[in-house]
Amino acid sequence: MKDYSDAYLSSLIRSDSVHRDVYTDPEIFKLEMQRIWGCAWLYVGHVSQVPNPGDYFATTIANQPVIMTHHSDGNIHVLFNRCAHKGAQLVGDTCGHARQLRCCYHGWVYDTDGRLLHTPGQAGYQGTGFDKDHPINSLQKVARVASYHGLVFASLSAEGVDLITWLGGAAASIDNLVERSPEGRIEIAGGCFRYLHDSNWKMFVENLNDAMHPMVVHQSSSGTAKRVFEDRFTDKQDAVPFELEMLAPFTSDYDFFEAMGLTAWQYGHSVTGGEVSIHSAYSPIPGYAEALIARYGEEKARQILSVNRHNTVVYPGFTLKGAITSVRVVKPLAVDKTVIESWVFRQLGAPEELFQRSITYCNLINSQANLVGPDDWEAYHRMQQGLNVTDQNEWVSQHRYLNADVITDGVKQATGTSDMVFRHQFQAWKNYMLNTGTPA
Amino acid sequence: MSAAVDAIEAAGQVDAGGLAQFLYHEARLLDEQRWDEWQALYGDDGEYWVPASPAQPDPQNHLSLIYETGLLRAVRIKRFRHPNAFSLQPAPRCSHIISNVMFDGVDEAGALQVYSKFIMLQYRREVQDVFGGTYTHKLKPTDAGYRILHKRVDLINCDAAMTNILLYL
Repeated sequence: MKDYSDAYLSSLIRSDSVHRDVYTDPEIFKLEMQRIWGCAWLYVGHVSQVPNPGDYFATTIANQPVIMTHHSDGNIHVLFNRCAHKGAQLVGDTCGHARQLRCCYHGWVYDTDGRLLHTPGQAGYQGTGFDKDHPINSLQKVARVASYHGLVFASLSAEGVDLITWLGGAAASIDNLVERSPEGRIEIAGGCFRYLHDSNWKMFVENLNDAMHPMVVHQSSSGTAKRVFEDRFTDKQDAVPFELEMLAPFTSDYDFFEAMGLTAWQYGHSVTGGEVSIHSAYSPIPGYAEALIARYGEEKARQILSVNRHNTVVYPGFTLKGAITSVRVVKPLAVDKTVIESWVFRQLGAPEELFQRSITYCNLINSQANLVGPDDWEAYHRMQQGLNVTDQNEWVSQHRYLNADVITDGVKQATGTSDMVFRHQFQAWKNYMLNTGTPA
Repeated sequence: MSAAVDAIEAAGQVDAGGLAQFLYHEARLLDEQRWDEWQALYGDDGEYWVPASPAQPDPQNHLSLIYETGLLRAVRIKRFRHPNAFSLQPAPRCSHIISNVMFDGVDEAGALQVYSKFIMLQYRREVQDVFGGTYTHKLKPTDAGYRILHKRVDLINCDAAMTNILLYL
């Protein structure tokens, strides 16, 4: 019975499959927003987006409008973007600079840490019981905020493990993203794509570690890029244009994706690739390895560059690629509506070509006008439609390489085309949804 | 070349009507899916650019919805006809309307700069999307007509959350 009890929710997740309703039922989506997105650590932004006191960046986490501010004492705050008075959103644009935050409606003024400083016409409040200094009349802070290498995460729940513990093995992907800067520093640059999907958020998140789809879905883009290259560059001495270096590996064969391997950690996080991925055969950028060696020494520099994690998924909504220095942030809007934001990091101290290559990669793969993403979008769209069918086939199979996971110290590993990550994500899903307090 | 342009300018022979006819021609090639003829208007070095933010200074250091020269256009055009391009099944259609065409002078390299406004309707599988904004063309007059050196497409909603752009704007 659909009473959304723990027993019912638990019945949707089997060891080898999940019920199709987890992708299509709006009631389940509402519970996900409370129990998963309302509890997990969610990526807000990077400190480089608010470099100076007074800088702010407005965004959403779990569909809630928030402002990340850089306060005068240097602290970063994540505040709900609504006036304490009548709820008007305080900041109407995406980013900017303000000494104080003033509401557009009745002019209430807040400090950049959220504290209410002033309400016009204070005489009218005398003897009314209204207390300007009561915390409820300041901007409400998101329950928990923490940062890792300048990446700011927030949790809407006061309860839960700390960010570093929660990230677990996925933290190494962020380490590698930062270490790829010869100065050990990164900054957001180059704008953002906001790609609207008409499908459930879990389809995108699963797809990032789905190694059985690229050779089918991306045949028309990657396969065509290879054909065009063969037609145009007949001399074997011709340097392969970088755009083709990026597109071609998407249609590598099954053995290649098998060899990438899968690793999963507690709380639903996972990664494809390690030493080998679709990013590991790019031509070197002149001067880059040298800059890393100068900073880290030869051995460490080689180790940094040898990390070729493909997609890291920090469940439920933060995903990154170290080798092309970019992140994609999942923003669920409804059961069948999801925005994927793409951001690029500049590695300070690296040749500008590295950043420009990441820009080119994101144009080619993450833009809503590119040749690759729309075919993924189409697969999600067709699943969203097809899973609403009321036929007898209620269960979505996750059988590939079932019972073949290798578990060492709580870390799961599997061959690249295993469904292990999907099973793993739904174990985390179940633990969050049942509120057992021991996710994944 | 520049002498020829100088001569055109000196003679005041740049015919805004002719420029508009050329822009209509380019759009018609896209609407009628005559992509090889369209590609031929550009040549390999011609740039086609759709910035992802308003007033974007360059395509190298900022994300672009599309930034292509001949190589990537060749991939896209070949993909239009690929039997397994699933996001193009059923095939999208488009209709361009161009207006407010103005000749904006000759740049340092001798290219004619043309400003115009556009609306492009994209239709696929029961969904019609409307895209609109400003075109900036840089054109080179040749004996065989104009060649497009650069086309910039500034969508008014380029930084909005939006779904697929499946055809050339």
